[in-house]
Amino acid sequence: MAVKKRSKVSAEFNMSSLTDIIFLLLIFFMLTSSIVTPNALNLQLPGKKTSPPPPKAKNKIVSIDESGAYTLNGAPISLDGVKRQMESLKRVDKDKAAIVVSPSAKASNETVVAILDLAYKMEVRAVLTEPK
Amino acid sequence: MLTSNMVQISIPLPESDSTTVAPTNLPVMMTIDGNISVVGKSSSLANLEKDIAFAVRETDNKENATVTIISEVGVPWSSVHKAMAIASGLKIKAIIATQPSKK
Repeated sequence: MAVKKRSKVSAEFNMSSLTDIIFLLLIFFMLTSSIVTPNALNLQLPGKKTSPPPPKAKNKIVSIDESGAYTLNGAPISLDGVKRQMESLKRVDKDKAAIVVSPSAKASNETVVAILDLAYKMEVRAVLTEPK
Repeated sequence: MLTSNMVQISIPLPESDSTTVAPTNLPVMMTIDGNISVVGKSSSLANLEKDIAFAVRETDNKENATVTIISEVGVPWSSVHKAMAIASGLKIKAIIATQPSKK
C-alpha cells in the first residue's frame, strides 16, 4: 500500500507583511498624536521672571458683565466689534497693540476666553484685571 | 489608542483655536455644579491653594509644573481667576483648557 508523503510546512515567517503593518501603525500614531495636541490658552501670569511688563493700554477697556455682554469703555459692543477695534489697534501700533479685559466675577468663563482667544488670533496683548 | 483615552474630557469647554504643547501635569477641573478637583482629588475653592501647592510639591518636574485649568462652560470667571492667581503666587505656569471652535 502506498503511503502519501506529508508535505513539509515551512517554519519560516514572512517578515515583509509584518513590516508593512508596523509602518502603517507608525504613520497612524504619528498623525493621531498631532490631532490630540490639547487646545488651550497660554497665560502669562505676573510674578514670573520671564513675564514681560504689562503694556499701557488704558484707553481700550473691554468689560464683560455677568450676562456675558461686552462693553468697550462703557459703550455696548459685540464680539465682532471688539475684533474690529483690535484690527484698528494693530494698524496704529502693530507691536504694542493691547487691550485691557475687565470681567465681572460672575461672568461666564467662555465669554472671557472668547476675548482672550480673539486677542491671541489678532496678536493683540490682552491684560486681565481683577474680577469686579 | 491609549493616549486618546487620557485626553478625553467629558465636560463642555470654552472654545478657542489656540493650541499649546505645555505639559498637563496639574489638572484643576471645575464644573458648573461647583465641584473642583486637583489632580483627580476632590477640592474646594477654600482649599484650592493648599491642594495646588501640595500637588506642586508632589510633582517630579517642578520647573515645568503647569496648572491646566479645565473649567466647564458656565463656570464663573472668579473661580478660574482664583486658580490663575494661585498659580501666579506659586510662580508656576497656567493654561486654560479649551476645545476647538465649531465654526
